[in-house]
Amino acid sequence: MAEVRLELIEKIEGEAQVRYHYEKDHIDFAEILFLTGRGIERILEGRDPWDALAINPRVCGICGHAHLIATVRALEDCYDDLQVSAKAKQIRELTLAFEVLQNHFKWFYLTILPLLELKAPMERVLEPSRLLGEMIALLAGQYPHNSYAIPGGISGEITPVELLGVRERHQRIRKHFQESVIHVDLEQFVRCDRIETMLEREGDLPRAMQRILDWGWERLGRSHDRFIVFGSNDLFEAGKSIGTRLRRHLDLRYLQESPIQGSRARRVLYRGRSYETGPLARAMLLKTPLTREAHRRYGDSLFSRILARVCEIPRLLRYTESLIGSIDLSEPAWVDPGPLPVEAEGVGIVEAARGSLIHQVRVGEGKIQKYRIVTPTQWNLGNGSREDPGVAQAALIGLRRGDPAELVFKSFDVCSVCTTK
Amino acid sequence: MDRRDALAKMFSAKGVRVNTNRGEAYYEKLRETMEKRLNELRQTPAATKMDIHKALDAEGLSRRDFMKWASAITAMLMLPASFTPLVAEAAELMNRVPVIWIELQDCAGNSEAILRSDSPTIDELILETIDLEFNETLMAAAGHQAEAHLDEAMETFKGKYICVVEGSVPIGAGKEWCTIGAKAETFEEHLLRVAGNSAAVVAVGTCATFGGVPAASPNPTGAVGVQDIVKGKPIINIPACPANPANITGTIIHFVLTGQIPELDHLNRPKFAFGYRIHDNCERRAHFDAGEFVEEWGDEGAQNNWCLYKMGCKGPMTFNNCSIVRYNSGTNWPIGAGHGCIGCSEPQFWDKYAYERPMADANIKAPTGGVEKSVDEFGLGLLTAAGVGIAIHAAVSVAAGKKDEE
Repeated sequence: MAEVRLELIEKIEGEAQVRYHYEKDHIDFAEILFLTGRGIERILEGRDPWDALAINPRVCGICGHAHLIATVRALEDCYDDLQVSAKAKQIRELTLAFEVLQNHFKWFYLTILPLLELKAPMERVLEPSRLLGEMIALLAGQYPHNSYAIPGGISGEITPVELLGVRERHQRIRKHFQESVIHVDLEQFVRCDRIETMLEREGDLPRAMQRILDWGWERLGRSHDRFIVFGSNDLFEAGKSIGTRLRRHLDLRYLQESPIQGSRARRVLYRGRSYETGPLARAMLLKTPLTREAHRRYGDSLFSRILARVCEIPRLLRYTESLIGSIDLSEPAWVDPGPLPVEAEGVGIVEAARGSLIHQVRVGEGKIQKYRIVTPTQWNLGNGSREDPGVAQAALIGLRRGDPAELVFKSFDVCSVCTTK
Repeated sequence: MDRRDALAKMFSAKGVRVNTNRGEAYYEKLRETMEKRLNELRQTPAATKMDIHKALDAEGLSRRDFMKWASAITAMLMLPASFTPLVAEAAELMNRVPVIWIELQDCAGNSEAILRSDSPTIDELILETIDLEFNETLMAAAGHQAEAHLDEAMETFKGKYICVVEGSVPIGAGKEWCTIGAKAETFEEHLLRVAGNSAAVVAVGTCATFGGVPAASPNPTGAVGVQDIVKGKPIINIPACPANPANITGTIIHFVLTGQIPELDHLNRPKFAFGYRIHDNCERRAHFDAGEFVEEWGDEGAQNNWCLYKMGCKGPMTFNNCSIVRYNSGTNWPIGAGHGCIGCSEPQFWDKYAYERPMADANIKAPTGGVEKSVDEFGLGLLTAAGVGIAIHAAVSVAAGKKDEE
């Protein structure tokens, strides 16, 4: 006799429900439902396109900055070939990367370590997340929820004083990451391609990964082994990866969304198939050494997923460090893009902490006619059917009683407020 | 009203009138009330594991840092400096006041601003040491276990706990879409149940206070604020998107100190935080007074940090203390990054003020009165208004601690 057990998933950004269907001793099917929503896309319809700059960051208090940048990019895309200054681009990339970093630290320390029954002093997460919040505030005014990015550039003049403040905090985070998380020099870590070498150290990352191995969980949480990344910049590459087979070309016309019965979230597919997005997907596209090795051994399991996310931290730190060093403050903060075309369409893509975030806007008669937001959690936690389960569903199906279903679920990191919008 | 009068009224309105000096007798009596209250609290057992001094030690903060913080909070609460030791003691006794924190239709931005991203300033440490009986984002227990804990906390501390609410309440068509817990309570039912047994309700953030972005036209879910639902309970509104942690701490400290809620304005906002406009204490105010405005992003004015009023800054219409308290441990605030205030703590900011474009195109009526005018219509008067502006500015700068002229 099949049994259905309801799990309430709190302690995430918002609330989700998972209904586990057990058949004897294993999960036969799992439904993931989001039961709250605000209708932000509807609110945007009929408004002045500029209003989106104030409304959209408020889609999410956790990754609202990604929404701001996606909005700006979508609006800028409505112009023909609008070029903002390198400085404005670099500063936007910085604040965006700081938000991603902050999310990575918080997820690892506040979500993953407790589920592995590991303890770490609170300041190991509070310190970097406070510093990163301040770094965004120095450049963008406040965090969360600011509106400093505008079509054409950024609003304020950044001075060497702010950059110094950012640089100094950056060094503290780097030091903290080296000492507490990986316990090895950052450059050495980035080149490392052997799991055992990483595990020899004493940091919180090796501790967590060793615990997963000790408990024999390293192969759990495997899904479709299909990955997708829409955003690209000097750090990430767009494309999809089926297993390790790469395809660089993506076309947004193949994006399909469908409503989910009994949930406020929509499912999203690319050419009819579900894909995983996020740090593991980005690492698969880049073939970063340590994650590739984990994937070779354990597939797209929770081990690879957790490792990939923490391994993104040093890459982001190096990336932001080089950005800080290359900003030319004498460049203009803003170039006048002129009035927004009365009829236009635009797309804004951002690689947010949990994966690709896509904003699509259609402007007609000077107003927003349609605004569509596709969030990372829609990819990863979209609810499908028994025959065609979504990414997280596939990872949960087949788990036995006593297996860490919650860890598998949270290895994707849910952002439900984003997902239901 | 002619243009000059309208302008003068708009920029010289007294707002809610904050009385910062009520005379010795008043403060003597207040001190007695507070001492009695703190004595009572001291007798009650500490309900929570955390103690502020342990928390400070863990963060490497000294007694001196703590007292510095206490004197800043004393000033923020508009109490004479001699109340600092009482405020410090109230902070130490925070773990005797149970708080139940619920999240409704929100983006988690307030929890984020308050409880995690800024930590560990003393403000946030204090919030961590309150007896947080229930908070979905923070507590260790989750799911069914958390629900049971909520029921238990509500029963144990019946009539004594502070109910903090984050997020708006959908009551429109489809409210059954927003449900919580295994019993699929609607948010409205959940709020009424938790608020019903509380001593006071604190609505945190603009969603919980006035409906916020979810209530933006056409308000698809029929979102409203807490005060539209909960009746017969003291309600304190701490708007802003996100709300400033300092204002939440201040309000809870006040409750610990007096057992009462702080003095509120007509929108149920604590006067200590919402008694002035952003404009009154803005670091760029001198440029407004001098008629020096940013006319477009990146221009000479922007490079020299001039006034953002013509770029659509809503500072003159917005009551909040951001210009003094700032955000992210006092690191910065939106105007510091060269972007005007969007009025995020005002009712209906999402429809009235969410314009990026200058108010010249927006036709906005200041909440302090005046006629609906655009900045260009005001434009003529602006330079002449500088005189008025300087006088007001000076008055406000000395207001704290001085005798109330009223």
